Amino acid sequence: MSNFEKYGIEHLSPSSCNLFTASPAMFVLQKCLGKKTSVGAAAHRGSAVEHGLAHFLTTGDAAGAVSLAKNEFATLTAMIGDPRQEKEAAAIADMVMTAIAETKDYGKPSSMQGKIEYKVEGLSVPLIGYYDFEFEDHGVLIDLKTTHALPSKISTNHARQVALYVAARGDNLDARITYVTSKKSATYQLENKREHVQALEKIALTIQKFIGISDDPYELASLVVPDVDTFYFSDPITRQMAFEIWGL
Amino acid sequence: MALGFNLESNSGGGNFLPICKFDARSGRMFRRDRDNGENVDVDITKTFKAVIDFENLEVGFINFNTGGAPHFAMATYGDTMPDKPSPDHKPGVRFVAKLASACGGDVREMASNAKAFLVGVDQLHNDYLAGLAKNAGQLPVVVLADTVPVVSGEGSKRTTNYSPVFEITGWVKRPDDLGGSTRVAATPKATPPATGANKVSAPSKKAPADDEDFG
Repeated sequence: MSNFEKYGIEHLSPSSCNLFTASPAMFVLQKCLGKKTSVGAAAHRGSAVEHGLAHFLTTGDAAGAVSLAKNEFATLTAMIGDPRQEKEAAAIADMVMTAIAETKDYGKPSSMQGKIEYKVEGLSVPLIGYYDFEFEDHGVLIDLKTTHALPSKISTNHARQVALYVAARGDNLDARITYVTSKKSATYQLENKREHVQALEKIALTIQKFIGISDDPYELASLVVPDVDTFYFSDPITRQMAFEIWGL
Repeated sequence: MALGFNLESNSGGGNFLPICKFDARSGRMFRRDRDNGENVDVDITKTFKAVIDFENLEVGFINFNTGGAPHFAMATYGDTMPDKPSPDHKPGVRFVAKLASACGGDVREMASNAKAFLVGVDQLHNDYLAGLAKNAGQLPVVVLADTVPVVSGEGSKRTTNYSPVFEITGWVKRPDDLGGSTRVAATPKATPPATGANKVSAPSKKAPADDEDFG
């Protein structure tokens, strides 16, 4: 039985690798102890805006895109009770319009939400992910990120994520990340794709080694410590879980 | 200065080599010989030519005013700067040079904490580093091309020192009697890959073909 099978992990993804990097304790909580945790309104904001943009890019219907995004957000956040929900909801429409302005000239995507699978030598599970938009005519792959503060460059986590998509789709694709706020937007071209994929491979292999330490998830939990001030533990239920498991 | 003085502590004088010194007050280069137990400074300003062992250049702090042998707190260039042992210690350099036969032909140690000298050595070291890419594993052949006056202070405290202007005239493999060792060029340290900060825009729409222009 592989290290991953012991914990019922069938694959890793850029987000699970990034999670392990950012908060090994949350990784243990979710993936090894099997606890369900809330992702918060901000994460749903991204999904909703992406949904709206996808609608526009395929139909040209901006009003419909905004409406769809708002509905999507309302649906996704109906049960989470995040105090930031209202603020996030208020930003949805403007973010969709900003995203439309930034990407409309690419035309209709050749594919959206495409699944990729990438095998890493020595890793017993594949890396799986879903890219946002591919424009085959232009040879461009775009991932959309929503934020309240426009970054001046691609974040490392995003770089690894999109680099993997491109590695799986074909290295000759021009990988780009579009950041949108409610007022501004910027699309950055990903650099050093190969190195970022290699980083993700290393992280994945580290996870494999880490979970191989023990069949007991509580022993793995005893090897890490949660930083309960990070947003990973901001949800009261998740915070309580951390306290019960780690006593912190 | 590019030599940095940001290097590790490593005191000690090493082997006692005869010295060669640059007198910044007069702008002259001397070879110090021993004659019947006496020090004799031989002016080699006009003929100075040497292979400088910059691969084993030391930087740190030197105190020549000990009343006896100078005290060195040095580290090989590229390592961490030593702590300054005392207020009397001043930033300085030390290196070994193989003099050309016209100016002595033997191996000498050069050390100084004179600012005017350091300025010249710093420039020479910059030239050395710049030339190293095309002359890996070799040492520079250096001549004293000129000296330039450096005036400091005002009124009665006005003084003039001279900075050496060195010139690299060639590159040679390490002379056997120079000692030390040729460093293997360090593999450049890998750095984290950049993610991307270049903004790009959507491809512009194709312009319609303009038949009139090309008949």
